[in-house]
Amino acid sequence: MMPDFDQEGKGQTEAWRPDTTAPAVLLEGVSKSYGRIFALSNITLALNGGVTGVLGMNGAGKSTMFKLLMGKLKPSQGKIRLFGTDPWKNPAPYARVGFVPEHEKMYDWMTAHQFVSTFARLNGLTRAEAMVEADRVLKFVGLADVAHKKIGQYSKGMRQRAKIAHALVNDPELIILDEPLQGCDPLARTTIMNVIRELGRMGRTIIVSSHILQEIERITEQIIILHNGRLLALGNLHAIREKLDQIPHRITIEADDAKALAKDVIDLDDVSGISFPTKNNLSIQTHNLGAIHAKLPSVIVDNNHRIHSIDNPDDDLASILGYLTSGGTL
Amino acid sequence: MESKPNTIYRALDRKAAAITEFTMRQYRTKTSTWVVLGVGLVAISLVMLIYIDVMATGFESVDNDGDSLDLDNDGYPTGQELKWGTDPYMADSHPGLLDPPIAPEPASNYIDEDGFDIVFDGTSNYQSTGFDDDGDCYNYDGTSSRKDTNDNDIECDVLLVQNRFNGEWSANPDINVDEDPDDAAYALEATHMAFVLGMGKMGFVLLLGLFCPLFLATGLIRDEMTAGTMHFMLAKPIARTEVFLYRILGYLGIVWPYFISIGLLFALISGFMGPSEGFFRFADLGVWLAIVFATMMASLVYGMLFCALGVMWRYGIVLAIPFAAWELGMCLLSMGAPDASILRFSVIGWALMIVDSAAMLVWPNMDLFLLQGTSFNDDFGSIQTSALALDFFYSRPGVGSTGLVSSIIATIVLLIQGAVLWFIGGAIFKGKEIE
Repeated sequence: MMPDFDQEGKGQTEAWRPDTTAPAVLLEGVSKSYGRIFALSNITLALNGGVTGVLGMNGAGKSTMFKLLMGKLKPSQGKIRLFGTDPWKNPAPYARVGFVPEHEKMYDWMTAHQFVSTFARLNGLTRAEAMVEADRVLKFVGLADVAHKKIGQYSKGMRQRAKIAHALVNDPELIILDEPLQGCDPLARTTIMNVIRELGRMGRTIIVSSHILQEIERITEQIIILHNGRLLALGNLHAIREKLDQIPHRITIEADDAKALAKDVIDLDDVSGISFPTKNNLSIQTHNLGAIHAKLPSVIVDNNHRIHSIDNPDDDLASILGYLTSGGTL
Repeated sequence: MESKPNTIYRALDRKAAAITEFTMRQYRTKTSTWVVLGVGLVAISLVMLIYIDVMATGFESVDNDGDSLDLDNDGYPTGQELKWGTDPYMADSHPGLLDPPIAPEPASNYIDEDGFDIVFDGTSNYQSTGFDDDGDCYNYDGTSSRKDTNDNDIECDVLLVQNRFNGEWSANPDINVDEDPDDAAYALEATHMAFVLGMGKMGFVLLLGLFCPLFLATGLIRDEMTAGTMHFMLAKPIARTEVFLYRILGYLGIVWPYFISIGLLFALISGFMGPSEGFFRFADLGVWLAIVFATMMASLVYGMLFCALGVMWRYGIVLAIPFAAWELGMCLLSMGAPDASILRFSVIGWALMIVDSAAMLVWPNMDLFLLQGTSFNDDFGSIQTSALALDFFYSRPGVGSTGLVSSIIATIVLLIQGAVLWFIGGAIFKGKEIE
């Protein structure tokens, strides 16, 4: 392709007309393999509007899917369309897309404002327009007061927000965030989650990936689950949760006298089994997690048990994956 | 804002200027940039120091024909005796016995007493020139045929003959004509020109023009791909071919001003230090201009190539090094055989042609000057050494009839090479998967 001599950005010229009827994201039978190893295999999905969480363990294919969408990788098989256009070797759709890569490395020598405004000009904005746009998006992600500090001095959460600001330039219709919460402290997580929810309320199509169920749960109900490159599930998280309550759950309690506690707990209706992984640890098996959690506090308080911790080791992505891969369906 | 007319400035102020400025700033923040530029400056400055030392010390004039010696110990140097027709080998024959008696001259009068005065008018390939400044040929006590040792029926001249096959001139002087030129002046002039050309070709075009891109341009895109920061740039609606070009522009924005400032510095130093009638060698500025221009063109082509190699493979510098070796070989070859056709398959062959063309335009009598220094073989120590050095570094451009034509052809070829490499590099980058 010849360079874009008029510098306007393909998305704004006559050359490329977005297909307004096409979904923001469309994957049809997409596979990506490296030799004999499949990073993604036979993924078919279409997304338009709303916030979608992409869940998967490390190496499940989340980043591969995003890189395919962003035209960084070429699919081995299948069809990828962003707003109806094939993104491989064609940067035109990116005028309507914002991408937050997972890579930690940034330009530490730049201020966030310089970073955002410099790359905003690649959207076809002039220097002056880019300055105004950078002010807007940095304010949106809450970095306005530190916009002129070097990125090298930023905390992890601030760096992530600077990356998000970079992606929000030119008000994209589709925003792809690859692990935006990774490594952030709780406060930064909350801020970033609020930003993502706010974007969702503004009617943008958002795809956000994570390997932590609770994170995604706080952002959206619509999820995609990837496992070993395959699309395991696509749907509402609450539906999945209800299903999960019907499979055996464990609650582990660390107590001073685990055996005494066991005696009191065994009489509860929904307890199906008890074991002692270590001397001070009690593990309770149940099919009704909610009921046990409702009754446990009174049992503990009434019988004066000293408790150090209560944990639900199965209430995470691994257990969902375990359930789904062992034949369960949503 | 949208209603403003889209001027050229406004158009370029978007993507092109953004990436170019960004790349230049990025270079400035990297220590490696300053190390590469610093090492380059130090390396060629060391050669500059040697030149300054030579120019400041000068050369000692030698009595090339030995006529300052008083062989018969009669107090008269041989040259003076030959001039007055007395016998230089007999003590009882000297100009003091003539009527009126002639006082002995100091021996130093017979060092550098007969300088080069070959004038080449280019009208014929067989011509007589030269003049016996000190009269030791005209006054030579011998027959007419002894005064015409080159057998062209003209006494006391220099015969210039052009070889009809290779076009080279050779000089054949009669006895005692131009036999003792000013060594110091010749050697200084020849050394100066040899330095300007040698520094220009080896120091600027080869060392700076090749090694700056080798270390600065190879990672221009590759480093971003490895670090993962390329994702920020490529997430925007911009063609990768454009990114490639604008990154190169940013790199040129760093190295070109560097070449220009060092070139200016060296032109000033050598202009003041070099031998000249006035206080400054203004004409040399033309050669320096060509040197800097050739370096800029070479760094452009090498930059495109090495950047493309970097995109192609993570260890692109491994691919670039054999190429750099090839260019070094071609650089040396061009000194000896500037019209070898294998040079057309190099970058440096064309870049050096620009320098040679400018040298030919600025120093039009170079062939003659070299002829003077190399044709009088015996006893011309510093003259011959400096002339051989100059002869090594100077070559006539292998393509084109005049200097101007040669330099224009070379420039066009280099621009085409750069454009082709841009398209190849852009195509490689476009089809590259980025992890």
